[in-house]
Amino acid sequence: MTQPAPLLAVRDLSIDLRTGSGKRRVLSDISFDLAPREIVGLIGASGSGKTILSRALVNWIEPPLEIASGQVEYKSSNILTVAPGPMRRLRREIAYVGGDPMGALDPTLPVGHQIVEKLRAVAPEIGAAEAGKRVVDLLDAVRIPSAKNRFHEYPSQFSGGMMQRALIVDALVSNPAFLVADNITQPLDVTVAAQVLRLLRELTERFDTAVFFVSSSLPVVSDVASRILVLEEGRIVEQQETKALVAHPKHPYTYELMSQIPKLWAEGAANVPASTSKDVVISVRDVCRSYTVRKRGTFAAYNTVRAVRNVTFDVLAGENFGVVGESGCGKSSMMRLLSRLELPDSGQVLCNGEDIAQLRGKDLLKFRRNFQLVLQDPFSSLPPRTAIGAILEEPLRTHGMRDKRELRHRALTVMDEVGLPSSLYEELPIGLSAGQRQRINVAQAMVLQPKVLIMDETLSSLDQTEQFKLLKLFDKLQAQYGLTYVFISHDLAMVRRVCNRVAVMYLGEIVEIAHNERLFFDPGHPYTRTLMSAVPTLEERRYRPEDYLLEGEPPSPIDLPPGCSFAGRCPNVMDRCLTQSPHLTDRGAHDMAACFLLDPATARSKDIAERVVA
Amino acid sequence: MFVLSFLVRRLLQGALIVFLVSLLIFTLLRVVPGDPVRLMAGGMAPEALIEQIAKDMGLRDPIVVQFGRYMSGVVQGDLGQSFVRPANGASTGGANFNDSTRGERAKVLDLILETLPMTLQLAGLAIVFALAFSFLVGIPGGLAPGRWPDRLAFYISSIFVSLPNFWLGIILALLLSVKLGWLPAIGYQGFAYTILPAIVLAVELSPVLIRTLSASMAGIMMEPFVAVGKVRGLSRSRIVFGHALRNASVPLLNLLGIQFSGLLGGVLIVEFIFDYPGLGLLTINAVLQRDFPLIQGIAIVTSAIFVFINIAVDLVATMIDPRLEY
Amino acid sequence: MSVIDVVPAETAEAVRSASISRRIWRLAISSNEFRVGLAVCLVLLVAAIFYPEWSGIDPTKMSVRERLIPPLFLQQGWSWAHPLGTDQIGRDMLVRSLVGLRYSFLIGVSTVMLMLYVGCSLGMIAGYYGGKIDTVIMRITDAQLSIPMIILAIAVLGVSRPTIPAIILVLGLSSWPTYARVTRSVVMTERKREYVRAAQVMGASNLRIMIRLLAPLILPPIIFVSVLDVARMMIFESILGFIGLGVQPPTPTFGNIIADGRKYLLNAWWIATMPGIFLCVTLTSINLMGAVLERARNRIHGGVS
Repeated sequence: MTQPAPLLAVRDLSIDLRTGSGKRRVLSDISFDLAPREIVGLIGASGSGKTILSRALVNWIEPPLEIASGQVEYKSSNILTVAPGPMRRLRREIAYVGGDPMGALDPTLPVGHQIVEKLRAVAPEIGAAEAGKRVVDLLDAVRIPSAKNRFHEYPSQFSGGMMQRALIVDALVSNPAFLVADNITQPLDVTVAAQVLRLLRELTERFDTAVFFVSSSLPVVSDVASRILVLEEGRIVEQQETKALVAHPKHPYTYELMSQIPKLWAEGAANVPASTSKDVVISVRDVCRSYTVRKRGTFAAYNTVRAVRNVTFDVLAGENFGVVGESGCGKSSMMRLLSRLELPDSGQVLCNGEDIAQLRGKDLLKFRRNFQLVLQDPFSSLPPRTAIGAILEEPLRTHGMRDKRELRHRALTVMDEVGLPSSLYEELPIGLSAGQRQRINVAQAMVLQPKVLIMDETLSSLDQTEQFKLLKLFDKLQAQYGLTYVFISHDLAMVRRVCNRVAVMYLGEIVEIAHNERLFFDPGHPYTRTLMSAVPTLEERRYRPEDYLLEGEPPSPIDLPPGCSFAGRCPNVMDRCLTQSPHLTDRGAHDMAACFLLDPATARSKDIAERVVA
Repeated sequence: MFVLSFLVRRLLQGALIVFLVSLLIFTLLRVVPGDPVRLMAGGMAPEALIEQIAKDMGLRDPIVVQFGRYMSGVVQGDLGQSFVRPANGASTGGANFNDSTRGERAKVLDLILETLPMTLQLAGLAIVFALAFSFLVGIPGGLAPGRWPDRLAFYISSIFVSLPNFWLGIILALLLSVKLGWLPAIGYQGFAYTILPAIVLAVELSPVLIRTLSASMAGIMMEPFVAVGKVRGLSRSRIVFGHALRNASVPLLNLLGIQFSGLLGGVLIVEFIFDYPGLGLLTINAVLQRDFPLIQGIAIVTSAIFVFINIAVDLVATMIDPRLEY
Repeated sequence: MSVIDVVPAETAEAVRSASISRRIWRLAISSNEFRVGLAVCLVLLVAAIFYPEWSGIDPTKMSVRERLIPPLFLQQGWSWAHPLGTDQIGRDMLVRSLVGLRYSFLIGVSTVMLMLYVGCSLGMIAGYYGGKIDTVIMRITDAQLSIPMIILAIAVLGVSRPTIPAIILVLGLSSWPTYARVTRSVVMTERKREYVRAAQVMGASNLRIMIRLLAPLILPPIIFVSVLDVARMMIFESILGFIGLGVQPPTPTFGNIIADGRKYLLNAWWIATMPGIFLCVTLTSINLMGAVLERARNRIHGGVS
């Protein structure tokens, strides 16, 4: 299994966490080798010790963590015991990229200058001019557009994906022997993450760099690594070549990890309610919403960010409707419009035929009652110093209920429904797990007995097991109360699992609306295919990134290019796309996509859209 | 382009602030009881004479009219004339009121411009002392949270903030000047007379600087880029002096801008104690003599200085940290 | 962080489940600095409340025979009749200082309460509604911040007659802007939090959100830190007294005692020095408490989810 001369050898490494009342072992007896030019993956759930292990490899263990035993051998010396001075020189050969690109550099200095600073700190013999040239060349190589100018820009002017590229440059600029990549795709959108991974593979091949690649997503790791280590509670429970591991996991934990990976195209991937109703609950008509932001460095000039553009769709009673898209596509603005936290600039949001913008007083309160929101972040969505019972009773009080016994009864009932033990009634939410907190959020929404629940990234902060449990809960509640759900999410797999129909948003527009099966097996828009090619999966891809995932990031919503907004990244782009903007075109069975490829007779599309709505 | 539009915007805002300050102080002085003319004319002056003077000076017009007249002067750079001070310098008390024509009275602007340089010298020296001391105490404190340098910074700032400036001034004058004879204290006959008052002011100013500096330094040392910087191969001294200090200087700068008016408050007392011929002493005398135009003028000038200093502070801060936008 | 770091880990664990204000309080009370400050402060307060009447010494009673007695530790053969000595007309310095402390503390606390009330309400309104209301309130705040408050205070008090309510009103109304700013910035971040959004979706009115949701969360930490301002206001009160614009003689205040004593500095240094030390000890004890509370708040707020 091991090559004759490993580059890096980890032997019996154990690490303790010092707590107030003693020590807790967080890593035990880790041993493995990393051969030159090899890419080894590490997979494990959150809290399994992945990050600690990856930091140990670059000698970054600080109190309250401490090395209990073992060594990390590089070039036949244990780097854990190297003095700070020599260690700094070693950093030229040992590089690290983390999962927090926006926090990794000093915000007050230009990115390029900081990479030069690092290069000259680890390799003082390189002159300033030469170092600068090298950095610009590499920035170019990671396809940062106009690298020369970008060199002088500040971290805040980089997007997350750009910054992660710059940090890969920062790591590889000194031509290291090995690189530790700790969760580098975690904060990025799927398409950007896929681009970054592709780049990492290319560059490490070019520089002959070995990589220790850490991630919590098995599909991501298996995409990159040739060999995978599985970490469970601080122990390596399995290591195999990637192909063998995916085909025949040996350890039950690996097996469990694999069974939790959501499926996209396999049998049984979808589990959607059998919605037969044709009643429209929410109807969004041609809604637009822009925000004005002051232009930087001007006195009175404003930029218009067009967050939602001409969006039209219907949600039927009892169905699960999904809105997917990457960050900045306008889905959060959509959520605010649906829940009437904001009003559209033009167009209407109708609820049971009534324009919600016109609602006042009692009618508004009634609408609020029927229409609840379950929010994204389980930690900031609960008022921190209120007992759970009081949190759940607050909405009832808001709606005029005063009887203490009745309030308590309702709160306890709803707690029972969402699976919270009644003993939590007096407790504060502090100290509860993300899953429990999310249940409180659901309960808080349910206590008013609404008809529609909007789930704004409700599940994205939970791990797969918790997600699974909550989805079951949603099923149960739906069956019991005939609820309608709107899921707003960036997670294609989640949408695939639960939604009847899905709307795909890109730069404020809906580019495609389709039934679940149709969307995943026969997408009508190139952007949908790009998303499918980038989503991490162990399954055979229906859309290969080589064909569908082009370089580049979405244009800024401030100065939108004329024509189709996806034209810049579209593999099928035509001349026409650069000047004209396609409308949603009916593809039959109420499925629609906005692409010229579908129907040259675009003139009809508007009628069709109207017919569909009616 | 950026700097220009920034300046235009901030200057307009600043003009608004100065206007509001004028309005505030003008109204306050006229709403609160106490007739300045009575004081000027002396207790013995007959009622009719007082009314006559007040009328001549326009003090019986509606406040709005008075304010309009005053502001139109201010816009032209005329802050009016002192009620009590003759143009030749020495101040006249209320008792020896004589019927001199108003032309002989000192211009407020001249009075302020005479004393302002003295006060700026004092304030500048105090800031230098305070900054030097705060860096010495605050940075080690911020780099070692929970250990003795941090405790030292904590105790020093807690004690310094509890020393009333007037009392400290008296004690230091007694000790350093009277008993030990190291520094001159009362009046002004050369630069050495600035040192002792500046020390008192620096003691007053430094606790908040020390606290801000050590807190922001400690905060920045927890930032991810500091930890990652070490892994990227940067030395500790480089991280501390090249990056952390740079980041920590932004809140410090902002604080200095805001502290300016607090500093002027201190200047007032310290100048009073040390009989230092600056703006502060002028202010106290103006208040004790109910010299309305002078009080108004001082308030307007100080708020204008405050506005300018804060514009400068924000400009420098944006240069250090490009994320800031004002 | 330092002083707080002495908190034993078990305590830190135990306070996890309590509300924020209680956690701040418990964290603070577990530090020695806070306990010392609290103890000194309580002793001084009890003394100020009870000693003058109990001792039966009139703080304004003159006695030519007993003038310029030095404090206890400078006397030959300790006599406890006048522990801090007497002034130039034979008034007892200890009783005068304690009566001064009464006024100082009364004015300090009332002023801070006034500041809190005005500042926090305006800051809450500005931060919550934003837009034009915010602009107006913040411009007024800027204007106030740009005049040295002591100038404002002495201008007003110098022109009118300084009575205790006037002093409280003037000091309080000239220093609320910091509270308005702090409250506003906290409200602005807090109101973007999701639970506020959730409450809106549930139909809660703005007033309800401000009073029931935001105020209990935002105000306690600010109130804790306002302890520091009690000390600051006590200093201002003594400054006013010193330049003759505070509570008027014959009522003794730290300011006018020191101002009197200053004239006798060369032959009876204690008249100016001892009340000053007395005041410094009081202020240090309050400031210690305030600073520990401030650090505790920063720590809790930094670590809260």
